[in-house]
Amino acid sequence: MNKKFLGLVPLLIFVLLCVFLYQGLFGNPRELQTGRLGQTMPAFELPDLMDEQKRWTDQDLLGEVYLLNVWGTWCPTCIAELGYLTELREQGVRIIGLYYEQAYDPDFGDQFDINYLRTDVQQMLARAGDPYQFNILDLERTLALDLGVSGAPETFLVDKNGKIILHHTGDINPRVWRSKFAPAIQELQP
Amino acid sequence: MKKLMLALALLAGLWSLSANAVEDKYQFKDAEREQTFKELVQELRCPKCQNQNIADSDAVVAKDLRDRVLDMVHEGKSKQEVIDFMIDRYGYFVHYQPPVTPATIVLWVMPVVILVLGFGFIVFRQKKAARKQSWSPEDEQKLAELIKQSQRKERTS
Repeated sequence: MNKKFLGLVPLLIFVLLCVFLYQGLFGNPRELQTGRLGQTMPAFELPDLMDEQKRWTDQDLLGEVYLLNVWGTWCPTCIAELGYLTELREQGVRIIGLYYEQAYDPDFGDQFDINYLRTDVQQMLARAGDPYQFNILDLERTLALDLGVSGAPETFLVDKNGKIILHHTGDINPRVWRSKFAPAIQELQP
Repeated sequence: MKKLMLALALLAGLWSLSANAVEDKYQFKDAEREQTFKELVQELRCPKCQNQNIADSDAVVAKDLRDRVLDMVHEGKSKQEVIDFMIDRYGYFVHYQPPVTPATIVLWVMPVVILVLGFGFIVFRQKKAARKQSWSPEDEQKLAELIKQSQRKERTS
């Protein structure tokens, strides 16, 4: 009896190992890319995209659940999701844009033209839909770096105390919304 | 001809100017900081790419991380401080040396366990097999005789 059991041990180890490795097959490696989950929004002070005089800080965003959507007009996927995000805004979701400028690089002495960018953004939003309450301009990508953003589009779900609940890499579409964001928001509103 | 020479000289001047600009940025206070920077850009993984370190990648985010590492090294931050800073933002993914956590302990311990178990199994079986053998003095004598016989045969043949 005892010996029979001993003979089964390697098989048992093998099966356990298989389960462990099998799970690995279905993990999404991109999901692991955030260290900021569960923490509060990093402190920042950045200008509004449309109005340099207006500056936003992390304190201004408190008090309501919102989505922080990292996007840029250079990013085709961002443009593709504008339509659906606009629908969400119409349903009452508060969406704030974090404009992620890719081209700006002080090392190369870029002559960055903010007026050109504003026109570009306005045209884009007029064409594809405007989901944003306002846009924060993160020209040097400092807030993006503090948030662990690796590209665009990325979206954060933040609760009313400024805690980061979700970090989604890639576009938001009805499927992602249903499976990921809707349940998380439901949990936040008892 | 004169114009060409002038243009060339100008070009050379410009080129050396830009080269200087690059050198300034990567001028370190001491060799230790330079070493730290070089190690860090090799060890940190670009979060946007599937498998490239930030020294190797042209992604915008890799460049941003490189600049941040450079700034932190210039400030005199230690290697571990920079790594912690990056892990805090980008998760363990960003560092090529995985830490020991409950989730990864299997990967660290499994090879050792398998090695020890395997060796243990072999030794255990060997000892058991050795104990099973019954070898008596008579057997020993018989063997000696057989050896002698075969040796004699060899000599005569």
